[in-house]
Amino acid sequence: MMDASIKIILALLISLEISFTTSISLNIALIVCAIIYLLCKRVNWKLMLYSIFLPILPAFGSWSSLYFYGTGDHIHMSFVLLTRIFAYIWIGSCFTFTTDIDKLLKSLEQNFRLPSTFVYGVLAAFNFLPRIAQEVKIIRLAARMRGEILHFYSPQIFFKAILTSLNWSNNLAQAMRSHGFAEGATRTHYHVIKIPIWNWFVALVIFIAVQIFLFMSPFH
Amino acid sequence: MQTTKKSSGWHLRDVIMLTLIAIFFGFIFWIWAFAYDAVAATPLKPFANDITLGAWIMAGPLAGYLLRKAGASFLGEFLAAFAEMIIGSQWGVSTLLSGLIQGIGGELGFALTGYKKWNSFSLVLSTLTSTIVTFGYDLYASGYTSYSLGMLITLFIIRFLSIGFFGGVLVAAITKLIDKSGILNR
Repeated sequence: MMDASIKIILALLISLEISFTTSISLNIALIVCAIIYLLCKRVNWKLMLYSIFLPILPAFGSWSSLYFYGTGDHIHMSFVLLTRIFAYIWIGSCFTFTTDIDKLLKSLEQNFRLPSTFVYGVLAAFNFLPRIAQEVKIIRLAARMRGEILHFYSPQIFFKAILTSLNWSNNLAQAMRSHGFAEGATRTHYHVIKIPIWNWFVALVIFIAVQIFLFMSPFH
Repeated sequence: MQTTKKSSGWHLRDVIMLTLIAIFFGFIFWIWAFAYDAVAATPLKPFANDITLGAWIMAGPLAGYLLRKAGASFLGEFLAAFAEMIIGSQWGVSTLLSGLIQGIGGELGFALTGYKKWNSFSLVLSTLTSTIVTFGYDLYASGYTSYSLGMLITLFIIRFLSIGFFGGVLVAAITKLIDKSGILNR
């Protein structure tokens, strides 16, 4: 198992690199490798389909913008962007489909010294994700009962969201403190997450392989 | 997240609030992506990115205004991008990169005032730095270097208007509601 924080660092580095390079073949190679990785991990096929269909519109949008409105090397660039957007999605999926925020934050805390106030604060808030989705619906429904329709550009919807965040954060922080969470105190860990050396090694090999591919590939 | 090493100024409640707001925005961004698609499906395609961009940078200035701390704007924006990616963004891991860039752009505006001013002046400054930084990034990341100069100027103006509306006018309207309610003067 690759460690979650290594995975996200690698994903960020590679996606940053393909934001600035213009190699179609590298983008395609990354997509293929990501798909193979996800197949090996036996990711749910519905999630895989999601990663195929989701980027179609933005990818097509970027492709057609450059293809029809660009100048100079725009035909090549339009296909770079098309493949780049799919590469972003699939590289992202390698992270989001195979690990979770819990593992990531705990690894960041134990291996990268992220302060525990941040780790557990963010974690507490992320556990509210389903309730937040619900709350957005409630805010809009409550307004509709008063005959108002809230759009995403209505200040009220954001104001209500901020009010709710303030309330919940007070309650959550109090609840955590009453359960013994002390800010800045040293903690011991029940789940000790140590990053094995081979994780760093694999990450380095992948990163170097990307560079070699970029410079050696006859196709761009 | 290295900008927030100074944990003394950050309390548990602040972190939770910032993250909750970020997730709310993450959801709203996620819905907003379909607006981008709607614009992208019309002849306005090449402008879709710049017309809709403003909404994505809102989390930063609002978080900065609410918490009035160095790094709050950056973190708010970055966490919102993270939430959007977790919910399932159509831009994948690049969402996180955009969040990083947009966070830096928004934060710069407040940083230029030395974190002393939290008013419409710093908001305007923040929208300006956001526009410049995100545009610089898109020159490469979105292939804007392939556009003619005239097109680039048009796109830049559209982007500034979009960010000005969402990150400036709308954020100011929200902060006015907050000020009137008095919830920040606890």
